[in-house]
Amino acid sequence: MAKEMIAMLLAGGQGSRLYALTQKLAKPAVPFGGKYRIIDFPLSNCVNSGIDTVGILTQYQPLVLNEYIGNGQPWDLDRLYGGVHVLPPYQQASGSDWYKGTANAIYQNLSFIERYNPQYVIILSGDQICKQDYSDFLRFHKERDAEFSVAVMEVPWEEAPRFGLMVADENDKITEFQEKPKNPKSNLASMGIYIFNWDILKKYLIEDEADPESENDFGNNIIPNLLRDERRMYAYHFDGYWKDVGTIPSLWEANMEVLDPEHSGIDLFDNTWKVYSRNSGMTGHRISGDAVVENSMITDGCRVEGHVKHSILFAGVRVEKGAVVEDAVVMGGTTIKAGAVVKHCIIAENVVIGENATVGEMPNGEENGVATIGFGVYVGDGAKVGPNAMIDKNVKDGEEAW
Amino acid sequence: MVNSNADALGIIFPNSYDSLIPELVGERLMASIPFAGRYRMVDFVLSSMVNCGIDNVSLIVRRNYHSLMDHLGSGREWDLARKNGGLNIVPPFATKAVKVYNGRVEALASILEFLKSQKERYVVLADSNIAVNFDFGAFIDAHMASEADATIAYTESEIPESLLAAHENAKNLYYTLEIENGRVRKIKTNSTEPGIQNHSMNICIIGRERLIEMVGDAYVHGYVYLERDVLAPRLDELNVQAFQYDGYTARVTDMRSYFRENMKLLDEENLDALFSPNPIYTKIRDDNPTRYINGSRANNIMAADGCVIEGEVENSILFRGVRIGKGAKVKNCVLMQDTVVEEGAKLEYIISDKNVTITANKEIKGTDSFPVYVMKNQTV
Repeated sequence: MAKEMIAMLLAGGQGSRLYALTQKLAKPAVPFGGKYRIIDFPLSNCVNSGIDTVGILTQYQPLVLNEYIGNGQPWDLDRLYGGVHVLPPYQQASGSDWYKGTANAIYQNLSFIERYNPQYVIILSGDQICKQDYSDFLRFHKERDAEFSVAVMEVPWEEAPRFGLMVADENDKITEFQEKPKNPKSNLASMGIYIFNWDILKKYLIEDEADPESENDFGNNIIPNLLRDERRMYAYHFDGYWKDVGTIPSLWEANMEVLDPEHSGIDLFDNTWKVYSRNSGMTGHRISGDAVVENSMITDGCRVEGHVKHSILFAGVRVEKGAVVEDAVVMGGTTIKAGAVVKHCIIAENVVIGENATVGEMPNGEENGVATIGFGVYVGDGAKVGPNAMIDKNVKDGEEAW
Repeated sequence: MVNSNADALGIIFPNSYDSLIPELVGERLMASIPFAGRYRMVDFVLSSMVNCGIDNVSLIVRRNYHSLMDHLGSGREWDLARKNGGLNIVPPFATKAVKVYNGRVEALASILEFLKSQKERYVVLADSNIAVNFDFGAFIDAHMASEADATIAYTESEIPESLLAAHENAKNLYYTLEIENGRVRKIKTNSTEPGIQNHSMNICIIGRERLIEMVGDAYVHGYVYLERDVLAPRLDELNVQAFQYDGYTARVTDMRSYFRENMKLLDEENLDALFSPNPIYTKIRDDNPTRYINGSRANNIMAADGCVIEGEVENSILFRGVRIGKGAKVKNCVLMQDTVVEEGAKLEYIISDKNVTITANKEIKGTDSFPVYVMKNQTV
């Protein structure tokens, strides 16, 4: 039985601009929003849109991601026919290759797609926070009788030069593509989400692979080739919440926006479009008698005795007496010890912040960056970690790190 | 075979002591009573079994078991979705015994063929009215080492008032043990003796073949209860050992104890004792984390995921998906999942069942010894 549309999810990104957070895991596995990982968003979108077959292309540090995806059951993607499959690069008779580019990653897995013989293939990116109904995108694709469609967002004109831009006519037909141009002719930024007719995708991937000059990239090679051949290409307008969390400030900001769903547009409380994740299975969280919790999100397994303000605590975080946590993203299993002050920062999983230590936002009045503490780091008693700091090694008691 | 699994199968009686807590079992049974923020009573004994390698568990249900089936599903969350063994819910089987069973003998008689076809050497029997992180491993080891015919776990505790009050009621039998050098010399049924007793937890292990023999024999003689009718009269010939459990237990025997045992978990020592060293599993609901909106105040509470708190909460247990509106005050309450407390409502000593809505500005008050219970799906 053929599938109407299957998804290929590009999850090989290193996310090098997240530094300390992506030393041991791929960017799509970075925790987000209290109990999720970034990849939960595209996976949940797939299931909520009726897509039951997803190939996940991994490459960089896949261990955490592989373990997290498992058999796909948390997303209801453990299926007899279809379901979720992790597709790492593999060795072939002709030799083995890392995925050279986004297009090459799909090319190397053409046989996976072939097994399901779909009419359409949607290419997704594993490093965006976005709740999107792909079935509506497919409806658009079919209505326009397109061979290729790309989801686009209107961005402010002054920011347009940072994006790949689609120039489209009044019928949304794409006439031109500009990759990070100095003089943008459009403010429709590509979200990196594409729907292809399967025959077209296959034809262009094979062609692209045969071209030794190609970088094997969708943006740089495949889309220009489609334009060259005057294929039926359309731009699908998306106006919901979308955030590329490729940098520490944008990741921090997106987390903070979760705290304000009424204005930010990212509503995790929407029961009609649930975001699924692998659950911690911990017991409910505890707020002690002398704790203060203001405008925050707190997950199962947390124990709060200190003061938590405008922050997100992931599963199993402990905030001891007298500790202050403000404007912070604190990932699972981390302990903030008594008297520590943690502000305007991202703290990764299983970190210990020692007694009376300080992390982030100290100099008064200035606008500071987001301090970041990497996985499993120990910040000693009384230590100081400055704003903008990126810590991936232990900080000894009383030391300072800027 | 690698020695990671216990050589025992588990059998749980999910309806036992239902009638002690009629309010909560209106549309469910003891095993599916919500407890401790995100669990159901059965999760504790079931997880305990799984954690020590019992991967073949049957639940013999009597009535009102839809909620339990919905909760357990295929048993996957307890790692019991297996090809061999796994979770097995046994509904009443109407051809042999037309009436539903009363005691363990009758219940086990209905699954004798199943018991005969299994491979495990021992059978572990348990109820679901005690929330406990029970070490079945140590229990089975002790039983094997003693080479006894049966071993019964007990706690040294007073008999709860509600049991004493119901001691003339043949529906809710409870047992106390007289023990001599670890061996049970007497099993007393519904004893009203005051003070600390060796109160049976109704957790019992017997050799499978032995159990089949006992039950088959007892059933044709019209016996109903395993402890009262089979073990108690034959303690001279049967070597029945007692196994003292001194870990944390939360026995639910009536509405008051239900309230009290929930509240006790606000003490982190108790919480840690019940939820460690091994995890307790439950059905996953995929709630988002709990959100505390500006203006909220939370003081000494335990809350599961999925709550939205805008008002004030103090000394309370909030289950998944509870919403507390602006200006609402909740104190000393147990609010089950998806309870909505609208703006300005004031609650004190309330147990609200699932999907209850307390409309704006209502005030309801119970007392410590008599918490007010609001039924499932009601709007106040």
